[in-house]
Amino acid sequence: MPFPLWISALITVSAIAAPVDFVRDVRPIFQHHCYSCHGEKKQKSGLRLDIKSLAFKGGDKHAPDIIASKPKDSPLIHFITTDDEDKLMPPKGKLSSTEIGTLTAWINEGAAWPDGVDLAKLEDRRDHWSFKPLPRRGAFQAPSAVENRRSLDAFIDAKLKEKGLTMSPEADPISWLRRVTFDLTGLPPTPEEVAEFLKHKDHAAVVERLLTSPRYGERWAQHWLDVVRYADTHGFEVNTERPNAWPYRDYVINAFNNDTPYDRFIKEQLIGDAMGQDAATGFLVTASVLLPGQIGKDDQSKRLARQDSIDEIVVNIGQTFLGLSIGCARCHDHKFDPITAKDYYAMQAFVAGVEYGDRDLRTPEAEVARAEAARLKPRLAEIDKELARFVPLVKSGAERPMINARENADRFAPTKAKRVRFTIKATNNLEPCIDELEVFNTSGENVALATAGTLRKSGGDIGVAERHELRFINDGRYGNGRSWMASEIGKGWVELEFTKEQTIERIVWGRDREGKFADRLAIDYQIEIGDNAGRWHNVADASDRQTFDPKNKKLVKPTLNGLSSDEAKRAKPLMQEKADIEAKIRAAENEQKVFAGTFRAPDEIHLLNRGDPEQPKEPVTPAVLSALADLNLPKESVEQVRRKTLAEWIASPQNPLTARVMVNRIWQGHFGSGLVPTPSDFGHLGVKPSHPELLDWLAAEFIRSGWSVKHMHRLIVLSTTYRQSSMSNAIAADKDADVRYLWCFPSHRLEAESIRDSMLAVSGQLNLKMQGRGFNLFDQRGGLSGFDPIETFTPDNQRRMIYAHKVRREPETVFGAFDCPDAGQSTAIRRASTTPIQALNLFNSRFTLTQAEAFASRVIKEVGNDPAKQITRAYQLAFSRAPTREELAETEIIIKQHGLVTLCRALFNSNEFLFVP
Amino acid sequence: MSPHVEHLSIPGRVLLDRRGFLSNSATALGSIALTNLLGLDGLLAANGPVIDPARPYAPRQPHFSAKAKNVVVIFCAGAVSQLETWDYKPELIKWDNKPLPGGPAVTFQGPAGNLARPQYAFRPRGQTGKWVSDMIPHLAELTDDFAFVHSLTSKSNTHGPAENFLSTGFNLDGFPSLGAWVTYALGSESQELPSYVAIPDPRGVPQNGANNWGPGFLPAAFQGTTMSSKSPVRHLTAPGVSANADQAARSLLQKMNARHLEEHPGDQKLAARIASYELAARMQLSVPEINDLSTEPAHILKLYGADDTQNADKAAFAKNCILARRLIERGVRFVQLFNGAYASGGKLNWDGHSDLKGQYDVHASILDQPAAALIRDLKQRGLLQDTLVVWCTEFGRMPFFQKGAKGRDHNPDGFTCWMTGAGVRPGVSHGECDELGQKAVKDIHPLYDFNATILHLLGLDHERLTFEHNGFQRRLTNVEGHVIREMLA
Repeated sequence: MPFPLWISALITVSAIAAPVDFVRDVRPIFQHHCYSCHGEKKQKSGLRLDIKSLAFKGGDKHAPDIIASKPKDSPLIHFITTDDEDKLMPPKGKLSSTEIGTLTAWINEGAAWPDGVDLAKLEDRRDHWSFKPLPRRGAFQAPSAVENRRSLDAFIDAKLKEKGLTMSPEADPISWLRRVTFDLTGLPPTPEEVAEFLKHKDHAAVVERLLTSPRYGERWAQHWLDVVRYADTHGFEVNTERPNAWPYRDYVINAFNNDTPYDRFIKEQLIGDAMGQDAATGFLVTASVLLPGQIGKDDQSKRLARQDSIDEIVVNIGQTFLGLSIGCARCHDHKFDPITAKDYYAMQAFVAGVEYGDRDLRTPEAEVARAEAARLKPRLAEIDKELARFVPLVKSGAERPMINARENADRFAPTKAKRVRFTIKATNNLEPCIDELEVFNTSGENVALATAGTLRKSGGDIGVAERHELRFINDGRYGNGRSWMASEIGKGWVELEFTKEQTIERIVWGRDREGKFADRLAIDYQIEIGDNAGRWHNVADASDRQTFDPKNKKLVKPTLNGLSSDEAKRAKPLMQEKADIEAKIRAAENEQKVFAGTFRAPDEIHLLNRGDPEQPKEPVTPAVLSALADLNLPKESVEQVRRKTLAEWIASPQNPLTARVMVNRIWQGHFGSGLVPTPSDFGHLGVKPSHPELLDWLAAEFIRSGWSVKHMHRLIVLSTTYRQSSMSNAIAADKDADVRYLWCFPSHRLEAESIRDSMLAVSGQLNLKMQGRGFNLFDQRGGLSGFDPIETFTPDNQRRMIYAHKVRREPETVFGAFDCPDAGQSTAIRRASTTPIQALNLFNSRFTLTQAEAFASRVIKEVGNDPAKQITRAYQLAFSRAPTREELAETEIIIKQHGLVTLCRALFNSNEFLFVP
Repeated sequence: MSPHVEHLSIPGRVLLDRRGFLSNSATALGSIALTNLLGLDGLLAANGPVIDPARPYAPRQPHFSAKAKNVVVIFCAGAVSQLETWDYKPELIKWDNKPLPGGPAVTFQGPAGNLARPQYAFRPRGQTGKWVSDMIPHLAELTDDFAFVHSLTSKSNTHGPAENFLSTGFNLDGFPSLGAWVTYALGSESQELPSYVAIPDPRGVPQNGANNWGPGFLPAAFQGTTMSSKSPVRHLTAPGVSANADQAARSLLQKMNARHLEEHPGDQKLAARIASYELAARMQLSVPEINDLSTEPAHILKLYGADDTQNADKAAFAKNCILARRLIERGVRFVQLFNGAYASGGKLNWDGHSDLKGQYDVHASILDQPAAALIRDLKQRGLLQDTLVVWCTEFGRMPFFQKGAKGRDHNPDGFTCWMTGAGVRPGVSHGECDELGQKAVKDIHPLYDFNATILHLLGLDHERLTFEHNGFQRRLTNVEGHVIREMLA
């Protein structure tokens, strides 16, 4: 290949010219052609050419960019000379050959770039308001030094004055009461609570009542669960149920209700296993995760899945506690904040021993129950073995249990057999699959096993290596992963031949004894036995079984049907004992598991080039963000010590971010927007606080109060700022349309859960049962598809929505459209969309209609048949006020014609009901 | 500010009368701020659109002049084999049933078997002579109009993350889908139908379900609304409520809200909610109408195969295709048409692990004629001038069979998708895989590039269409993406 033209040009240029001077010759080219994309404002592909250190460092993909004395190896030269038009720099047009020559010569001569000549200054990214220590107490220059409660208002007043604004007048008492009740509990005040408040006007008493109500924790836990993207399924394609996630949800509710000091709350979520709070570490594993079966069998897939799952933990810690997008540094140094890729991987090292999984919940009660369960299990195995002999005989006249996917037994009079043939005649869907076929002789031995020398053949198989193979039909191992699948849809046969003739009496088979799969199930079949002489006869089929019904997913209970009276007499006590033991074990096991991570020896963590697990660089050890502190651990540090160290650093009063981030979230919970409107980003890209001194003052007050969240609520909701009217004001709105400076209270729409819960409260249907396993919103709790909504309403599913079993990514049918987070990514602030789909849902859904009817019945029950009384009571329940004379008049006509339920339906859809005043 | 305060107390139905709204928006709602809100004064704002809360679906201007106004995405779930469809690899015939030297021992699902020839015959088609398989004869006839990219790559070989990656640009759950980004940017020409409609396959929802049409962290207004020829939009009517009682509730609600707005003058959020009920009332009329295929003539039903009495799944998918056309005709911005359902060992979607040929015979008979008819029909009605049609799948399949099976495993390293219609250069085949079709080797394009190209055709710069979320200016293409210029007209 001949030398490109530019190389010869270079030789000419450098031969005749004086050495290239950076300032005179090179920088003007950069300025003219490169800075617009690789300068102070923009750093495309991570490259910046106006600062020496960064120019030499290079961009994200091509580093270093300039290699002194080696122009041919320098990406800079490659990109300005390439023939690939897509890659050529600058994109607007090639540099002149003289310019190319100059740059090439400059690099060739050693790329001399004198120090101190750069026109731009590299900003010190650590010099950022949120990274600075909180001012010490006493150092605050509160605008007017008065007692705490008022000083909050003083900060707001001072800023309003600066902007030429003033606070609005105080809201009417009912508006304040509705506002504070919705804010702290997510529910409207009852008419009785309204009356009580109007009588005494005791604001502080109301706030104490609300803060001690368990409804408070149910409301504020939801804010937290939004941020940590809590759900009750694993996410991704299969979206399987995560059945033991809910103890973490309950932990969060309790923590708010108990006003657990926030520093302790942080530590418990990171290292609760060492603090007697097992459920709390559910925090670590709230993300979507691929289950082992979904990860590719190739090593590359496994490495990527592991990296993704650790990444989610680091991202969660960074944004939740610190308000930093640490995850941004997974592929390269953070573009805006002082977080290097190495910092990111050093954070990974703190949690590199965490696995997504269930752990025993070690409460004292659970310990007792678990010991009991362990004691009972061997006895259960004995009973099962004995009971297996008492399944009803085939064709005894009694109906046998329905076929189920787990395990079925066919028992018949002892018969001589050399061969057994199992023929599938129909399936619930697809090609049939059987995980194991067992044949028991009269001595109770499984003679089907391959290890006993039994041979097998079939009418055709679908082979998937190490999953579905004919040999798995009698390998003695259960589950889909060791099963046989026939080659045709809906039918197939498999035959076993024993080494010698056996006297057999029982055949046991199943689709998946591990209980994970229920498809491909044989729902019609026959079993034939061949003797030594080669004669075949039928011993069992599905004709005397209860008709198959796919909706019935309950396990068949053993019955006495089809047993002789002697058998029944022996079986009955065994069955009773079995049921008792199973219930005990189930209860014990349900209580003692929590999806809160398991802990093991940490993986060795490497810095990964561009975040790619296939490109590991040097190993890193645990260290906190280098810009904030110098705290690191040696690589031999054990798992728990790692998390403990991290937790203590985050929860320290010295950490500049922790308290600021949390008081801002609390503020946001009351005013709809925080003093920092980007609640999970306190970095350079985040928005600066509207009231920086107030934020710092609140943070210091938070720490001083012993990190009491309830203390902060009191300060806020009793302030004059919070007690303002929400009435808009054209002149003020012109200056501050977003109400950032709080010249009035910013009203906002109720969130999805509050709407649902409030409708139930008003209709009288709200079931206040707390905690425990979530109720169903859909016909299934996880899985590939389906998720048909449940539209019959019972006390159980009329609990507060925080107790719904949360299927990740599947919006609740009515309220999902009200910006309910889908638990895919963290939701630090909810958007408040307004869409016609919301209107359709809220106006027409069965939920609304059912609750409107319940509301109407409740009103009639409470006040009787007088329309005026009915309307008055309905208004009081929904709006906390009586109707005006005009409202009463126009409504009376309508309810006389169309019934009270029409009013109730309209009330649920009205703006007055749906907005926090 | 002051002039429009009094006007905001006008009840929502006036606000929402579309013609009145647009023509009066400069005077009735007066302020410059609101003109900006609607994007009426020019191109899309630098860092994403500003949404008018009263009209989240209002049409908004793109970044630059657009070739395409609307999009139909035909999304084939389960990973269609490029080797049985669009990417002819005759070398595989020679290598049939021989091991791939140096090939991987284990792929996604387990041990690898021998190389396997394309399971269908290929022949050259049309003017371009593009080799396409006999599996899809109807679509094959149209390839002169298609722009293929044969060298796509995905970041995951697992359906869930890979369908996320195709639909949202991220492997993880919870990011906004392509359709959500597009309708967030551009709104919709139709105010009476959802701006973004996802039509699931008649056999079931695709792997990853709602995440393929989710809004992620964008406002819920931009979530895809699911409907199909089988199941309409939920909650269109109130079951068991008489028309009179329904109307009474509605008018009572209007009175309550109007009075409440009078007491809270200037509160746009309240006005927006009132407006949303008016829009909903229009949807109640227009959605059943659009789903009523009885107005379609017999020759159209026949063209799509909607009259096929032998193949119920095909007829149902054909009806979905007709529905897609009707939605586009009425100005819906983004239609996502799924072919293939959830994981089922390849039975219900394109995941041909065990018996690829047997299963693809079935799937192709459902996809081919209806999808081809959709493109023909859009073309004959002149709709293809403004409409981009995209055919995509989450990744490809391996050139070898799985050990002990007659199907191919997942392959994220080289696969094919195509586009046709507005702004697309017809008859292009861009990028190449190696001669056995295992890996992209020439003009390699991660799916980011494909998505960037779709946005480009809609007049959107994928680097400028952003949304702030937890410290990131998030984009559909993360920090990657280059427009594939070779596919553009």
